[in-house]
Amino acid sequence: MSHSPAKGTWNKCPFCHVHVNQLEWGFYKQCPHCHHYLRLTAQQRINQVVDKNSFKQLELNMTTLNQLKVPEYDDKLAKAKDKSGLTEAMVIGTAQIKSQRVMLGVMDTNFMMGTLNTTVGEIIKQLYFEAAKHKLPVVLFIASGGARMQEGIYSLLQMNTILNAKRNFDQSKQVSINVLTDPTMGGVSASFAFEGDFVIAEKYTQIGFAGRRVIETISTEKLPIEFQDADHLKQHGLLDDVIERSEMADYIGRILKLHQEESSC
Amino acid sequence: MLEKQLQLIRSNNRIASTEIISQIITDFTEIHGDRVLGDDPAITTGIGFLSDIPVTILAVNRGKTMIEHQRFNGGQVRVSGYRKALRVVEAAEKFNRPVISLIDMPGADASVDSENHGQSQAIADLIDKMGALTVPNLALFVGEGHSGGALALSNANRILMLEAALFSVASPEAVAAIITTNDDVSEYLPMTSSQLEKIGINDETILENDRLIVNIKQALLKHIQELKLIPRDSLPMDRSDKFNRILATWNTGE
Repeated sequence: MSHSPAKGTWNKCPFCHVHVNQLEWGFYKQCPHCHHYLRLTAQQRINQVVDKNSFKQLELNMTTLNQLKVPEYDDKLAKAKDKSGLTEAMVIGTAQIKSQRVMLGVMDTNFMMGTLNTTVGEIIKQLYFEAAKHKLPVVLFIASGGARMQEGIYSLLQMNTILNAKRNFDQSKQVSINVLTDPTMGGVSASFAFEGDFVIAEKYTQIGFAGRRVIETISTEKLPIEFQDADHLKQHGLLDDVIERSEMADYIGRILKLHQEESSC
Repeated sequence: MLEKQLQLIRSNNRIASTEIISQIITDFTEIHGDRVLGDDPAITTGIGFLSDIPVTILAVNRGKTMIEHQRFNGGQVRVSGYRKALRVVEAAEKFNRPVISLIDMPGADASVDSENHGQSQAIADLIDKMGALTVPNLALFVGEGHSGGALALSNANRILMLEAALFSVASPEAVAAIITTNDDVSEYLPMTSSQLEKIGINDETILENDRLIVNIKQALLKHIQELKLIPRDSLPMDRSDKFNRILATWNTGE
């Protein structure tokens, strides 16, 4: 008979490698030793930032197909669906944050590292379209390794076409708040992630265009630990602010309040 | 097959963007610097006449000699390069000048400085501005063009490619490493001029025969003259329609 604890009771913190009991991670999934955050599923993120039971998912009847017949892509998609319980790497819908209605989009790294493909791109364009139509602010939680290689140039062309949708949305004069969460990289970083009225990051987030390993290989210099970290980007003037997870809902609520149209009386 | 093509377009004998400028543009006047950080030699920007039409040129340089390679960073445009392009394009809009991009760039500048200076923001801003332009813009792929940087220069009304040129989400080597295959990745992912012409990304393949320069000049002129017939306010729509048509062929399972 085994005296080992049930599987999942303890996990190793991916940052400081100390074993942490599941109860110690708490609601915000923060390591009690090094204070880093675990990556969240889309559902966990929604639970943390929106008013209770206010999220109404916008279901889009789309399925990602391996149209270019890239080896192993079907397999990867099937595994990603299993792991995440989602049909793609992004969930969108309407929600209330501190009693204010928004169009919310949340990316999930459990689905192929939140990579941008035709389906994810289409979902984001739909989000901007719906937000413009209903005159709602946009709140985007971004988490992505970049463009999804398996869809080649079709993934790349999401970068410019999403920005076209964003420009149409901007005509509605609603505020857009982009929250960069771990990781925000590559083609996502270099397109819609950095195009918002507010671009903030969750603390301890890795943000960049080229990957750290790629840069290390090429530059041969040892990169400092804080390189591509949210606070480091803020110091370089690239982010409006860096926010702790527990402060996120309050921060977004405040920005939304500051952009409410004055009621005519 | 792809390997040979890569050798060809990366060789020092490949025609350079600056050679194209000197042979088809008259009165070329270079514009230096982003007025913030510096002047990125990897991208030459300026104005000149194509036939009798004043145009704005954004030309990425790869370099032919060791010294040039170093100076041009192998065509890896840095942040100040995208910023320089952005300001030159804004001026093009003011003076109603068509914009021509000449693309020959392997991908992102993987460096500490580019990250610290906001490479993502610079690329995103240029993609966005090119999409919104109310003057015609055209991109000519001279050699290879990969990733977001190449897209920023090719978010255009028309895309033209030299026969051997490539346009891909990432360099073929990077793609192969990520999707872990030893196959020729162009077997799966469209990236050659003929493949991209078939799916509507490449509007015209320019033959690489002994009349190459004439072919380039005639093609650019033809497309500019066509685009000049479109009302300025409709140019962003013409551009987004082009890309939406391509993406509409992708089956979303609906």
